[in-house]
Amino acid sequence: MAYAVEIQNIIKKFPSVTAVNDVTFNVDEGEIFGLLGPNGAGKTTLIRILTCIMKPTSGQAKIREFDVVRYPARVRRNIGVVSQAMTSDLDLTAWENMNIYAKYFDLPKKQRKENISYLLKIVELEDRAKDLVATYSGGMRRRLEIARGLVHRPYILFLDEPTIGLDPQSRRVIWDLLQKIRKETNLTIFITTHYMDEADVLCDRIAIIDYGKIVAMDSPSNLKRSIGGFDIIEVSLSNFTPSVMERLKAMKFIKEVAEKEGALRISVEDAAKSMPVLIEEFKKMGVSILYLAIHEQSLEDVFIHYTGKTIREAEAQKVNMFLGAGVPRQLPGSRI
Amino acid sequence: MRALAVAERDLKRFSRNPIVIFASILMPLVYLVIMGNSFQGELKHLSLAVVDQDNGPYARRVIELLQAMRDGPRTLDIVKLSDQKKAVDDVKNGFYKGALIIPPRFSEDVIKDVNPQIGLFLDNTDSISAAGISSAVSRSMGYLKSEYVSVRATIAKTQFRAVELYKKIDYDASLVPGIIVMAIFMGTTFTGAFSLVMDKFLGIHESYLSTPLTKMDIVIGIIISGVFITTLMAFIVMMGGMFITGIKLAGGLTSFILLIFTIVLTALGLLSMIFMVLGRADHPRIVGVTIGFLNVIFYFPSGAVYPIESLPGWLKAFAAVNPEAYAVHALKALILKGSGFVAVQNDLIFLAAFTGIMLFFATITFKRTM
Repeated sequence: MAYAVEIQNIIKKFPSVTAVNDVTFNVDEGEIFGLLGPNGAGKTTLIRILTCIMKPTSGQAKIREFDVVRYPARVRRNIGVVSQAMTSDLDLTAWENMNIYAKYFDLPKKQRKENISYLLKIVELEDRAKDLVATYSGGMRRRLEIARGLVHRPYILFLDEPTIGLDPQSRRVIWDLLQKIRKETNLTIFITTHYMDEADVLCDRIAIIDYGKIVAMDSPSNLKRSIGGFDIIEVSLSNFTPSVMERLKAMKFIKEVAEKEGALRISVEDAAKSMPVLIEEFKKMGVSILYLAIHEQSLEDVFIHYTGKTIREAEAQKVNMFLGAGVPRQLPGSRI
Repeated sequence: MRALAVAERDLKRFSRNPIVIFASILMPLVYLVIMGNSFQGELKHLSLAVVDQDNGPYARRVIELLQAMRDGPRTLDIVKLSDQKKAVDDVKNGFYKGALIIPPRFSEDVIKDVNPQIGLFLDNTDSISAAGISSAVSRSMGYLKSEYVSVRATIAKTQFRAVELYKKIDYDASLVPGIIVMAIFMGTTFTGAFSLVMDKFLGIHESYLSTPLTKMDIVIGIIISGVFITTLMAFIVMMGGMFITGIKLAGGLTSFILLIFTIVLTALGLLSMIFMVLGRADHPRIVGVTIGFLNVIFYFPSGAVYPIESLPGWLKAFAAVNPEAYAVHALKALILKGSGFVAVQNDLIFLAAFTGIMLFFATITFKRTM
């Protein structure tokens, strides 16, 4: 099967720093692939190489089998791009923004009209189509830019930090929107983010990038499993007795049980699978549940495992760049 | 204390922009050199066509004295022609600043003392040059008088009749063509490459760098919109200028079409040049500094406010490749004289060539990637 994106040994060097350091991976058709890493890890540089905005120092990248350096014109016709910076024109209406963008791709008038109407409906902006973008909120503007990126029906959509700067509600709307678009069109989506929850919710597979290198790549659940450790189920029972503890310890799927201030911390491999069994067992024991909480392994744990630090610590080391996505003016020894 | 913090921030930002500091120092000095040399120079090399229809001794003497003005203070450049009509037409077409016609029997009239006259046709659309020629010819006649007081002739009675070829044009009206060129230049400061620089500054340019747009699409597209806006601005400024100074278009439809064509071509040339210079700039501050600099060095040595003939040699050499000088020359001919194609053909050829070269370099220097 052909890959949507093929990346082989891509290196991008700036005068005093290597932004992307020998990166190799593929993205399947129809999947949502996430590039997760702190600001300055090399995500934007890589996405700029894949979208023909920047040339790699060495290595090869292909979109739909077209080499990004040798066939940039063909690549550009196959991609939709939503940049990290808001790039819609404030002085134009949503319709005008999309219509002009569609003209860049030589779309005939009838098709432009159909696509724009369809997409504005999908992103729920059809009522505001004739309003100037200057009157939009950040979330609305981002939705418009996603619609604009799809106006020519691309083969793959690249999104560079699509929810950066948005409030939690707007972020959720964008996630739902991307999932809806994928469901309806089977579009391949390549997304960069530094938000763990975003990568976890949206992506079929994730590559963790740090200092320009891919340090881990798999589905979110496999990544979490790969680092070992267990999910924790915290539970408080109405009539806890030592015999309950003994029976729990005897269960094979339970790795460890500890009691602290009247609450039990039960370690299991997979909390989602273990929960129904555990509830059933408590019923059989004749105890009732007063409180129950699950702490699953998170991507934050995965990130710490592979990089030795939290993503916030990594971000604290970033170079100060315009919107975090500029061509870096490197300081010696600094990160991208 | 808080005010000092504000000042500190401002000073630090200023000190870390070497281009602005450099320009702040350089600009006044450029003004000094360019403006100083544009206004104070003596008029030299004013081209004067001389038609000698007399061929008598006094006609030859007049020419000798005019040639002395050429060899001495170099006020005049004398070109001898044989056809009066051609001489006057050439003045109208801007090839000469004036034409001196020595009529048949001039020498005879001098000898007989019957009110000898010399005709001087002047391009009064350039009032400063016209006055310069008139003055130089008058001075020549003065020398003629002092040298030829003789028993046979009273040369003092020789008169030259100055004929202004066009309706009287005040100095403010003669500035209108230059103001139009300035409007075109100003138009290039907030259209064309400036739009591109702002897109880069705001990060908006990424939205079109990832589309199938080619370098040529981007350059040509931005210049087309710039030409449209700039032409419209120039046209409105022209109407306003003509209303304020009370002049009317001197020519007919052909002249008007050529006028629009000249404005469009000038806008194209200047926009292409600015694109070439600023195609890789990424901060509006660089635009401001560059535009200010270019405005001075192109506008003042263009003949818009003072004749190019007054410029020192090095500045005159620059004027020979200054697109605004050609634009001003063409617009003066079309607006003030109502001239036809012949008068502006050299200007249009230069502007077209200039536009082509600038467009070529603008396209190859523009970077399609980051």
